[in-house]
Amino acid sequence: MESPSSLSLWPAFLPLPAFDPFLGFALALVFTALVGEVLARRATLPRVSGYALAGLVLGPLVTGWFSAVELERYRGLVDLALALLLFELGVRLDLRWFRANPWLLAASAAEAALAFLLSLGALLAFGMDWSPALLLAAIALGTSPAVVMRVTAELRAEGQVTSRLLALCALNVAYSVILFTLLLHLARGVAGAGWLQALWQPFYLVAGSLLVAVLVAGAFALLRRLFNPASEQGVVVIFGLLLGALAILSMLKLPPILAPLLAGVLVKLRDPRPQLWAQHFGSLGGVLVVALFMFSGAALYIGHFGTALLLALAVAVARSLGKLGGVLVCGRASGLSTAKSVALGLALLPLSGVALLLAYEAQLADPALGAQVLPVVACLVAVFGVLGPVVSQRALIHVQENRKGEEA
Amino acid sequence: MSLQAFSASRALSIGVELELQLVNTHDYDLVGAAEDLLRLVALGDKPGEIKPEMTDSMIEVSTGVCDNYGMLLEQLVDLRDTVADAARRLNIGICGGGTHPFQDWGERRIVDRPRFHHLSDLYGYLAKQFTVFGQHVHVGCPGADVALYLIHGLSRYIPHLIALSAASPFVQGHDTGFQSARLNSVFAFPLSGRAPFVETWTDFGAYFEKMTGTGVVASMKDFYWDIRPKPEFGTVEVRVMDTPLSLERAAAITAYIQALARYLVVERPIQPAEDDYLVYTFNRFQACRFGYAGTYVDPETHWHCPIADEIDASLTRIEQHAIELGVDHVLGRLRQAVREGRNGAAWLRERHAAEGNLPEVVMAQCTRWMEGEVV
Repeated sequence: MESPSSLSLWPAFLPLPAFDPFLGFALALVFTALVGEVLARRATLPRVSGYALAGLVLGPLVTGWFSAVELERYRGLVDLALALLLFELGVRLDLRWFRANPWLLAASAAEAALAFLLSLGALLAFGMDWSPALLLAAIALGTSPAVVMRVTAELRAEGQVTSRLLALCALNVAYSVILFTLLLHLARGVAGAGWLQALWQPFYLVAGSLLVAVLVAGAFALLRRLFNPASEQGVVVIFGLLLGALAILSMLKLPPILAPLLAGVLVKLRDPRPQLWAQHFGSLGGVLVVALFMFSGAALYIGHFGTALLLALAVAVARSLGKLGGVLVCGRASGLSTAKSVALGLALLPLSGVALLLAYEAQLADPALGAQVLPVVACLVAVFGVLGPVVSQRALIHVQENRKGEEA
Repeated sequence: MSLQAFSASRALSIGVELELQLVNTHDYDLVGAAEDLLRLVALGDKPGEIKPEMTDSMIEVSTGVCDNYGMLLEQLVDLRDTVADAARRLNIGICGGGTHPFQDWGERRIVDRPRFHHLSDLYGYLAKQFTVFGQHVHVGCPGADVALYLIHGLSRYIPHLIALSAASPFVQGHDTGFQSARLNSVFAFPLSGRAPFVETWTDFGAYFEKMTGTGVVASMKDFYWDIRPKPEFGTVEVRVMDTPLSLERAAAITAYIQALARYLVVERPIQPAEDDYLVYTFNRFQACRFGYAGTYVDPETHWHCPIADEIDASLTRIEQHAIELGVDHVLGRLRQAVREGRNGAAWLRERHAAEGNLPEVVMAQCTRWMEGEVV
């Protein structure tokens, strides 16, 4: 047998190349972006559906390009992408609107409460225990802020359904995170971890996030005097600010969801001037968004299917009915036509990154509980992460709020 | 098809229509919210009307027939408060101004009404480009021949009215150099410009029949003239003004038109002639381009002077009529504004220089319109 070195073109004096896992990530990113682009051009579907679909294919469920360990490695990237989108969503929420139109708050409470109660009922009816059922229902009442931001941006959507979609989404994300934390720690309180601890946690979540949000919003206001947020340097400053906030949140063991959202809300409340930065902070933010959706798709395991699928379908139906019903009940009073209320209810359906983050948190806190919650959430995200954006997009086109793309 | 009879109306009664911009409060671009707003507004038994316009980011508010300035201002304030309240419930802004400074006309949507679809089919992209915002003022006339006299008389004051109302320096994100760029959009329509020189309703009827005979027009609505008769109301309608940035300026301009009309009808100071119109488009252009600083050419003496001077002189000419109508204080403030060079276009450019971007200018426009000014 000839020695390999005599055949190889590789010079012996160079070290043999070792596979860098980052290459795998880079290729996956290119593949994901391509799938999104092809779906958008050929089928006029939202790009985020393509990203999530590509993630599904790359994840452990289909090809196994990403393993669970690798997903954890890029967690920081996902957190930053989400924080950027949540901050932007917060800036779109003007609290003064609720004073002028309190029925909007009623609509928000109704759609979230109905989605929660109907999902809970469905899970209990299918024989799930109270603890995981409550946690799942708390996750299911939310809407994916990332999907909503992406879909509206892609359509350049503007109008009543769009602005209500963004407002209700911001609110139900906040409800979902707070309620989830409360229920998770109550469940553990029941299991003997102590009641004081159970009640302290949600308070800590809200107070801690608010504190970080005040810091971020204050720093933003100061920096805005020096930088134009629409300029390239301005975007770098905002990135830095949010990265710092994420670091502090991680030190304080707080989820990276509520604080960026609240920070955005505070920025708009303090300064109603238009915030003119590039949507999703330009191309750098765009890369993070692709990664975010790729990972949310890749989080599905083969073991997730089975009974979890059935439960997820039950929640899917219950949650859809809840959101539609809640929005319709308050539609007229809040000043929205029935057709637009239906569109709003449908547009609120996407579920994605935040739901997964919460499910992971449940698993971390209590692996036994997490084992019941995570599979159902993963199935829900597979359904509402891929199809949800399509429903949102069609709903907005139907009510003619898209300024880009086809005329309905 | 023959022309309808000219209904009689109370002489010198006034009415105003204002086309308003609907914008979002996030980046202050135009937003398609006309249908949502119209569903919410309820005037109850108050006079006036709120209607959709060609594209879905416009609405038109109009007063009923008013006897005087006070009544008009009261109705306008009611209309403003009604639409502003509905706008707040929808989280949108409402503002004056002849153009939206940075909207993309290609993104506009035609409102779903047969008339608007017909116009869109006929005029193509001009219909969407017609997302511009004007103030129309009706003046009541006791008879048709008086109306035609008034049309020719008021046509000399078109530059004055343009300069006073001009509030459209920015179009599609750029400073046009004009004070009223809106009128350039109106000029694109084939039947825009001035009314024909006829002095009796019989002659006007003959002209109208010849035009309908060509198949070019079907009704008076198809004429986009700067000043046109409105036979069903028994009024003359002046249509050259940009919607001013504040309701107070809109009311003051209406008072000015009413006083001019009283001067013309009572004193009959001019003998209208076809040759009056030789300088018409020149004067009109000067006013659109340069506002108060534009050149005004007197149609009779061919004397040249700045438009500001001619407005000042006209205010002196009609002073007695302003006093009779009880609007001398209103016109006094208008005279002050002319002397200080204040109009919408100047204010918009100042704001733009101060803010550095157009969305913040629109935000300031909304505050100015929705919260009003101290009179």
